[in-house]
Amino acid sequence: MNARALNNVLLGLAPIVMVLALWQGLCSFGYAPPSLLPPPGKVFVRLAQQLVSWNFLDDMLATLTRLFAGFFIAVALGVGIGLAAAVSGPVNAVVRPLVQVLAPVPKVALYPALLLLLGFDHASKVTLVAADALFPILLSTYYGASMVEQKLIWSALAAGTPRYQILFKVILPAALPSILTGCRIGLVISCIVVFLAEMITSTDGLGHLLVGAARTFQTVDMFVPLITISLLGLILNGLLYSLRKYLLRGFPEV
Amino acid sequence: MRIAVSRLSPLLACLGLLVAWQLAAMLLHTDSFPTAWQAILTVPDVLGDRESLLNILDSIRRMVIGLTLAMLVSIPLGLMMGRSARVAAFFNPLLMMVYPVPKAALMPVIMLWLGVGDASKTLVIFLGVSLPVIYHSFQGAKAVEEKMLWSGAAMGLSAVQRMFRIVLPAALPEILTGCRTGLVLALITMVTSEMIARQSGAGNILFNAMDMAQYDTVFAMIIIIGALGIVLDAAFDKLRWRLVAWAEPRQDILLGAS
Amino acid sequence: MQVVSLRPEIGAETGKVSGQTRAPAMIDIESVSQRFEVSGRKSHLALSDINLSVADGAFVSILGPSGCGKSTLLYIVGGFVSPTEGVAKVKGNVITGPGPDRGPVFQEFALFPWKTVLGNVMYGLRQQGVKRAEAEAQSRRLIEMVGLKGYENFYPKELSGGMKQRVAIARTLAYHPSVLLMDEPFGALDAHTRTRLQNDLLNIWERDRKTVLFVTHSVDEAVFLSDKVVVMTRSPGRIKEIVDIDLPRPRRRAELLLDARYQKYVVDIERLIDDGRDDVVQP
Repeated sequence: MNARALNNVLLGLAPIVMVLALWQGLCSFGYAPPSLLPPPGKVFVRLAQQLVSWNFLDDMLATLTRLFAGFFIAVALGVGIGLAAAVSGPVNAVVRPLVQVLAPVPKVALYPALLLLLGFDHASKVTLVAADALFPILLSTYYGASMVEQKLIWSALAAGTPRYQILFKVILPAALPSILTGCRIGLVISCIVVFLAEMITSTDGLGHLLVGAARTFQTVDMFVPLITISLLGLILNGLLYSLRKYLLRGFPEV
Repeated sequence: MRIAVSRLSPLLACLGLLVAWQLAAMLLHTDSFPTAWQAILTVPDVLGDRESLLNILDSIRRMVIGLTLAMLVSIPLGLMMGRSARVAAFFNPLLMMVYPVPKAALMPVIMLWLGVGDASKTLVIFLGVSLPVIYHSFQGAKAVEEKMLWSGAAMGLSAVQRMFRIVLPAALPEILTGCRTGLVLALITMVTSEMIARQSGAGNILFNAMDMAQYDTVFAMIIIIGALGIVLDAAFDKLRWRLVAWAEPRQDILLGAS
Repeated sequence: MQVVSLRPEIGAETGKVSGQTRAPAMIDIESVSQRFEVSGRKSHLALSDINLSVADGAFVSILGPSGCGKSTLLYIVGGFVSPTEGVAKVKGNVITGPGPDRGPVFQEFALFPWKTVLGNVMYGLRQQGVKRAEAEAQSRRLIEMVGLKGYENFYPKELSGGMKQRVAIARTLAYHPSVLLMDEPFGALDAHTRTRLQNDLLNIWERDRKTVLFVTHSVDEAVFLSDKVVVMTRSPGRIKEIVDIDLPRPRRRAELLLDARYQKYVVDIERLIDDGRDDVVQP
């Protein structure tokens, strides 16, 4: 790492340290009573305790299950429909206006309907996550697949690729950078939405822990699930970033 | 002819969705799933009710205030990040850490600090909207061609003038894309935070109606919120077209939920 | 040169005397016109009544100003675009789509970014059903032939423009097309690289004398490389004249540049193109 990069890292750490220092300062100097804002040390100790407690891990597992179920449904549908809309005129004619109408609808407003139709268990939350993560994945797949350079397809056709194989041999790999960008956005959305759904109605999961703590004014326990879901988001985002970097090693400027 | 079809197709899509709903509801035939027609008939009742209407208007007012404040702060911040590598290096890691935090989930914490009033709800909307607006302004300013700024400097524009007369207009298409995402996000954050806080507003009506088994009202409210999203987005898109008709069309991906 | 006798004597001029219709050339373009819809009712005539026949083993350049439809003509032979009127034939068969008998090389390289150099060159062979090991061995030989030995496992993004175009040429040669369709292949390269690739292309071509259809807007390039230069005019794209380039082969650039015949070809063809421009100025 050269000096300049190191400098930038230090510069970037500065505001994070400042936020923590401000937090600690507010607590130490008595501006914020612990019932409203617990000191950071206490929160992180509690977080460490929780991360090795089975009850907490059970809740985290429930959240992760819903998150991944919803996310993978969104990936399957988003990539499938996006590709189909990019290569087929009739599919495009149907999908385009539907997406135009449904994309700006706040999906969370559908949550009560999902609860009424699918019950209060996993299904309604998974569906909400999938519905929210679907559109960025679908749109980026569609744009990626429709921007594929014509001459790439021509080169493959001339080399003897049958037309029905072009979709998987050329369009899908060529659209991969765009698809993976959509997936990253979709993954973070999934994290956020699953947590919110659990906050609105649930009997388990990280979101439920936050609401439970809020009811009994356990401020420390309110911060722990919030930090956990954000860390999960960061970690999953990082993992997908590495996967993306590996898969796209041939593409310019990843 | 072709233009007429493309204008009509979103309406046809809406119609198709409503018909699908109608058929599904008629097939399932349960109390908790009214038909599309029943739900539409309930819309005027909801909007005609003085208290619900005031609630919805309150929600919209908070949304507009939160969104405006967020734009006032985020656009200059994003532009500065885009033009100065040091400013970008300073803020980027913090913003990256904040990105996966569910903003609406901060509602219970913020309510502890600021109470249940307008301030908490507006602040949450502000937080929910800020990131995509910053991100897009940042990208827009970063993409401004260096040579355009050189030309400006050669013509004698000062650094501040260059920011307003060159960077801002050049980044405008991208900024407006961010604002469009922000608009939809503001609506989402508004509804979600009201669902969590359960005090007042559109999100609260939804769950109150559900608790009281007024299923027609639940679905009517979903139609109202959905329509609000579609109309706001379409209106903003039209405005954007007016402002940056010169820009080449580009893809928009709605970023983030809240 | 015994190879010559193996080749059927064909071409527009040398029809068979037997009273039958003449034998097919490698490429026959018959009364081809191409019309593009511009917007709504307006349309643009890109090619108008093109007739051209290319003999087997000939190196033919299509030369003309930008927008004269020369690339479109190449795409029609490639089977990527179907003509509004007329037919194009390869070895007497009407072209209905792309096929491995006609290999394109594009100005934009169009390499698969997700494949390495080796992967790109192997692609066509694998499509033809050649076993992996055999395809790899053949591809490695080709990569060496185009001067990229040692770069087999590089990705296209790691190569310069000239190297990318070498890969693209190797990728196309790999599946043994009868015709090479080159669409301004050196147009995006700097002058120095361009000259080197022209020389190397000629060297490769001398070995197996594939039929080449070469689109360019550079008069020097066309004269240097070709047996025939097809000069086109713009709006609508028409063939203005076909010039036979009667220069000895193998050609050496340094010698040719001093050769008065070469210089005369260049000047004559430039004049032809300038004449054409006068027609276009009319509104």
